[in-house]
Amino acid sequence: MKGDYLGELEELILLTVGILHPKAYGVGIMDEIEKQAGRSLNISAVHSVLTRLEEKGHLKSKMGDPTEERGGRRKRIFLLTAAGKRTLEEANELRNQLYSQIPKVALQFNPLAVGC
Amino acid sequence: MRAINNNQQSTTHPPKWADRFLQWYCRPDLLEEIQGDAHELFYRTAKANQKKAKLHFVWNVFRFFRLKNIRRPHSTYSPQYTIMFKSYLLTGMRSALRHRTTAIINILGLSLGVGVTIAVFIFAEYFWNLNLFHINHDRIYQVISHVKGSGELQKWGDSPFLLGPALKADHPAVETMVRVEMSEGAVRHNEIVLNESIWFVDAEFLNMFSFPILKGNTEALKTKENIVLTKPIAEKYFGTSDPLGQALSVKFDNGTKQEFVVGGVIDVTDNSGMYPSVLLSMEKFEDLKFNDSYNWTDLTDATFLLLKPGHSSTEVAQTMEKYITLQNASSPEWLIEGFEFIALTTLSQHSNEIVSAIAFGAHPSAILSLLIIAILLLLLACFNYMNVSVATVATRLKEIGIRKVVGGNRKEIIQQFLTENFLMCIFSLVVGGLLAYLLFLPGFNSLYPFTISLATISKSKLVTFLIGLLVFIGLISGAYPALYVSSFMPIRILRGREKFGQRGLFSRVLLTLQFVIAFMTIVASFVFIDNSLYLKNKDWGYDHQRNMVVPVANKEQFLKLRDKIIHKKEIEQLAGSVSHVGVQNPRISFDYHEQRFPTVAYKVGFEYLETMNFRLKEGRFFIKEIQSDLSESVIVSESFVEKMNWKEPLKESFEYDRVKRYVIGVVYDFHYNGFYNPVSPVMFTIANEDDFRFLALRTTQGNVENTEAYLKQSWKEIAPDDPYEGFLQDAVFEDFHRDNNANITLLSFISSSAIILACLGLFGLVSFNITRRLKEFSVRKVFGANLLHIFRLMNRDYIWIVLIAFFIGAPSGFYLINYLIQHIYPDPQAARPQPFLIAIGLMIITVAITVGSQLRRVAKESPSVTLKIE
Repeated sequence: MKGDYLGELEELILLTVGILHPKAYGVGIMDEIEKQAGRSLNISAVHSVLTRLEEKGHLKSKMGDPTEERGGRRKRIFLLTAAGKRTLEEANELRNQLYSQIPKVALQFNPLAVGC
Repeated sequence: MRAINNNQQSTTHPPKWADRFLQWYCRPDLLEEIQGDAHELFYRTAKANQKKAKLHFVWNVFRFFRLKNIRRPHSTYSPQYTIMFKSYLLTGMRSALRHRTTAIINILGLSLGVGVTIAVFIFAEYFWNLNLFHINHDRIYQVISHVKGSGELQKWGDSPFLLGPALKADHPAVETMVRVEMSEGAVRHNEIVLNESIWFVDAEFLNMFSFPILKGNTEALKTKENIVLTKPIAEKYFGTSDPLGQALSVKFDNGTKQEFVVGGVIDVTDNSGMYPSVLLSMEKFEDLKFNDSYNWTDLTDATFLLLKPGHSSTEVAQTMEKYITLQNASSPEWLIEGFEFIALTTLSQHSNEIVSAIAFGAHPSAILSLLIIAILLLLLACFNYMNVSVATVATRLKEIGIRKVVGGNRKEIIQQFLTENFLMCIFSLVVGGLLAYLLFLPGFNSLYPFTISLATISKSKLVTFLIGLLVFIGLISGAYPALYVSSFMPIRILRGREKFGQRGLFSRVLLTLQFVIAFMTIVASFVFIDNSLYLKNKDWGYDHQRNMVVPVANKEQFLKLRDKIIHKKEIEQLAGSVSHVGVQNPRISFDYHEQRFPTVAYKVGFEYLETMNFRLKEGRFFIKEIQSDLSESVIVSESFVEKMNWKEPLKESFEYDRVKRYVIGVVYDFHYNGFYNPVSPVMFTIANEDDFRFLALRTTQGNVENTEAYLKQSWKEIAPDDPYEGFLQDAVFEDFHRDNNANITLLSFISSSAIILACLGLFGLVSFNITRRLKEFSVRKVFGANLLHIFRLMNRDYIWIVLIAFFIGAPSGFYLINYLIQHIYPDPQAARPQPFLIAIGLMIITVAITVGSQLRRVAKESPSVTLKIE
């Protein structure tokens, strides 16, 4: 099941692609992550994660329209695939499921417990 | 205005080189998005800060440089490429097989050049890396004294005995210091008594240097009753049994005899420039009291410093002033100008400049000249190869034409020929490597007194070198033929219009160049060999063939031996001496008219000069019956008189050793240790029998061997405790002659390689041209030309080339080698025409033979056969 496993950064980027739908591309994703999560990534790192996700089948891509700010070059627009959506849902579900199982006590701030 | 505009424009673009780099490496299918993103980011940042934007852009371009994004060869992969590659190999092999002789000649020639180059590289690498196996090699320095003794500044390995301890105490950068005091002693274990050279060293020696310790540990020398041996010495005394803890006795120079316990055995590896054999502790040296006490007048043979990490020798060098003052105040006869710190890493390379050096290496100019010769031979081999391949290609013109017609472009033709060529080069490299490993290196090792083992050479360097060599020969020999061949127009080729081959100016220039290099090498070698042969038989200035000498420990031994052998009728004459010509040549200096004169001074007994056959120029030898001869007479050499500028030497006198000396005789100049040094002034005075350390004798004709046997036997009776160390006077020049003979062999080999290479190339070319002109010759034969006529016709071109090459190559070779000879030998033979005549004669003969051997083909081939083909 190694192929299905999502890394933390992969999940983050996969989510961002969803957020930006249907205009997700390299620099846009990088900016969005910086804005939302406060993490500044290098563009090359974003690219390599995107390619990896595409290889795993979570993303598909197509070439967009040329823009002037890119010197007339086209963007590669990334879109979630059905598999990508499902993986995101599963990851979300798993997280919620696990979170709900944490006993309430553990989440309460308890200075005595820290002392022990 | 324009300028400003331009400026603005250019600053708003990303750096061009980075952009190009990106375009160059990036996979084409990813380029658009990657470049787009990079540009977008750039323009965004550039609005705020252009400099930052540029930096970021470059940074991003490098960050994108990942395996995933890099354009890969198989992205342009097409099965056609492998098919073509196979076809290249196949046609290449076919053409090589069709011209078997030429191909073999090519590979052999190239292998020879490559083999020599590899061997010389290993040789040079070995000498450059001497002493580097010591772990602390970059922190160890030897203190060298600059002494202004006799006019010119000399570098001495000796330094004040007290300097080392003083430096260690005074200077915080000095971690440890080790002094080496060289001495000798008779080492005895049961019945084995042999004289060994002994190094007294400070206790840290084994820690500072990293000689591999086979037995014991690095603390061995901290106990002063311990003795440390090297492997061969230990084997000499103890054979295969464990030497550790065994007892040895040593009888020192001053007569004291001491017992020692073997505390360790070290290995002196092949890549060491220093050769210790027996080590004792410095503490022992001080105990032995060769001197009553040690002060600044005493010198030690070497002082090594180990500096703490991060400190440089200049730090220490700056504080040397006070020691110089101390030293010079106490010993005015050995004035030190300054101290130099020579790093252990370069110590061996400097050995030829340092008087009484402790580490040895090859003369830098010897290495340099070998490198030059290797490069010349390699170039010769490459030109050779190039010439023959250009000629061979002529038969493949049709193939090239067809290839071009069916769609091969120029790049592909170049690729084809370079591939073929690289394959040949790889083959040559393998053969050359084998030649170097199996033939040249063992050859070197057998000629010279050192062993170069491949184990001491760094493997990565060797591999880098071999790859570099492959690329070098591959391009030098292959680039021109490939470019040349690929430039033809197919239509001209196929119509048979392309004139090609032997008439080409370039191929003639190449052939000339080839012969120029050959002549340079040959003439240089011959001139050097000529000089070496001359030195081999050069007069020493005295007859030595029947002379022998036996070192003795003291007067008692001398008298005993003399009495024992004096009546033997095979011995013509004998005499004692304190120092012996060629073995010990003490350098002293004396004042004369307020000027200092350096000279070599021998103290000898009566009849010594007669025994040694020195030739009297004027005056007389010492005579026992004349009282004054014992105390105040002196015999000087010709060059001594010259140096003093005396007109009538027999009337002169000078003061030496606080005694006024009167010149009673002048001898002709003689060489006392090889011909590397110029003859220098020499003087003889009479010494007392008490100080005799040598017994010199001359045998009658033809009795050298049996006298030696007799001496050995007599010695056993007189001094059973001491080894017999007598030798023939011939041995004095042994080292010189061994080197000299080795040089002769080496250069003979080099010059014959050059001849072989030049002729291989010529052979290939001639055999080729004959094949092409076979029809022409046949037609000539039909019309009545005889063989001589055809021979002349064929040779005409080559003889001119040989002659032109001779007049360029021979003088340049001569000047180069003459420079080297002048550098090594102070008194070489004047240049003679013989080497030149031999060189040109040899070359013309070999050229004639080479061409002549091909002529047989023309002679054998019947015109009717050759002309029938079409």
